[in-house]
Amino acid sequence: MNKTAPVEVYEPFKAGLPPLTRYWRSLWTRRSFISEYSRSELHEKHFDTVFGQVWLIINPLLLSGVYFLLIVIIAGNSDKMRYAHLTACLFLFYFVNHSMSGGSKSVVKGGKLILNTAFPRIMLPMSAWLIALIRFLPTLVVFFVIRAFMGLPWGWNMLWGIPVVMITGAFALGLAILISCANVYFRDIGSFLPYFSRTWLYLSPILYEVKNLKPKLRTFELVNPLFSMMDAWSRAIVHNQMPHLESLLKGTAWALATLLVGTYFFLTRERDFAVRV
Amino acid sequence: MSNFQPVSGEIAVSVQHLGLTYTTTIDKRPTLKARLRTMGRGTKHTRVVRALDDVNLDVPYGSVLGIVGANGAGKSTMMRVMSGILPPSQGRVEVYGKVSTLLALGVGFNPSLSGRENVLLGGLAAGMTRKEIADHFEEIADFAELGDAIEAPMRTYSSGMFSRLGFSVAVTVRPDILIIDEALSTGDAHFKEKSLNKIKELRGDARALIMVSHGLGTIREVCNEVAWLHKGKLIQRGEPNAVVDAYEKFLHVGKSAAINEDI
Repeated sequence: MNKTAPVEVYEPFKAGLPPLTRYWRSLWTRRSFISEYSRSELHEKHFDTVFGQVWLIINPLLLSGVYFLLIVIIAGNSDKMRYAHLTACLFLFYFVNHSMSGGSKSVVKGGKLILNTAFPRIMLPMSAWLIALIRFLPTLVVFFVIRAFMGLPWGWNMLWGIPVVMITGAFALGLAILISCANVYFRDIGSFLPYFSRTWLYLSPILYEVKNLKPKLRTFELVNPLFSMMDAWSRAIVHNQMPHLESLLKGTAWALATLLVGTYFFLTRERDFAVRV
Repeated sequence: MSNFQPVSGEIAVSVQHLGLTYTTTIDKRPTLKARLRTMGRGTKHTRVVRALDDVNLDVPYGSVLGIVGANGAGKSTMMRVMSGILPPSQGRVEVYGKVSTLLALGVGFNPSLSGRENVLLGGLAAGMTRKEIADHFEEIADFAELGDAIEAPMRTYSSGMFSRLGFSVAVTVRPDILIIDEALSTGDAHFKEKSLNKIKELRGDARALIMVSHGLGTIREVCNEVAWLHKGKLIQRGEPNAVVDAYEKFLHVGKSAAINEDI
């Protein structure tokens, strides 16, 4: 019986990469780890607080409240579209942001598990990304309630939001994987991250709309992946228009590139983690 | 491999010309800042460690292999290669069965989660299904003797509770090959006794066990064979008393109470 082939063979990697089919197969069989890990992390984070899981709704409400105070009450700007644009884009931005910040800690935090268990390490940033996604979904509900209050028109074009979320999600996953790996080598990335993401927030069409931007500053569009994603998102879900095809294609290209580069980077470095963490 | 049944005498793990080199950081906490500050000055941030060098070893089913060696001999590294945590740099490792590892307290990587959640997560990460874990859970909790503490966050556990839980998980899931890395040393006398009995039971059950320990008394007692590693090389392997005697002679310690004490 065990004269047959060995159950597992461990050999040196070829070209620095683990055998990919085996890797994906073992990732697939462990997919319940990702959901269980995200669930228990979220549960634990809010377990001791008075409002518990309701924080998932309270957080985005407070966030939009702050900007309501800033734009509508202090600046006296009663442009409904602008406020709706801001909340919608801000929530999507926070999805990307949470994937990055959660992802950056994910591998380093999994220290003991990495030392003692053989599993595809990429599950750790994936779980961090799933947590960010779970936190994003209630914000959508909050946004739709705000939108309904403002009496903005509903329509079929809003469904374009679905591919936009998928594109942004893929991009966020790529970022989470990339940063989780970089953080193993440079542990202070977490300290830079808040400033980096704050800058990114201001450079993206979130607090303003693309059409209000000076043509001179439109060059950002070329280097900022979030530019096309935010524009497409706002058009679809706020304005009920079809996004530019160009934005969708650009966003897809950015997302795929980040995901591929991030995964490659991660897989080639992964064997180091057990001796570095 | 659900219908897999280990047979005494057949090979469980075969290690062939195994070599492992890795690069690790010198800095305690590598940062971008440190990198930038020392850029261009030729400061080294990493060093290359040759942890294992041309090791050959076969472990048959129904036997307990003890591994002894001084600190830094590559014992734990070899365990990690056998369980697929570290891929080898040279050579080949063949594993014929399901491996469960207990490398110096495996479970409990997230101290703010309860013992139950940690067992579930550790099991899922190791590739078990929810059902398998649920089926074994009562047995694990019983064997670890944690009582209600199983629902408490693991940051509230003592080191003994930690290792008891780790040991219970590893032995209860019925692995074909069990790897134990100095995990018994923090339990009290009662639990040590219990774990030793469990190990003997698994040995009788035609499982393969690989044990890393500094407790030479235990090694003599339970192992059928002992391998002695030193600085990544296999120095000697064979009958337990002979190898342990040679190792003790090497250490210049002789048979003192201190080394027989711990397992």
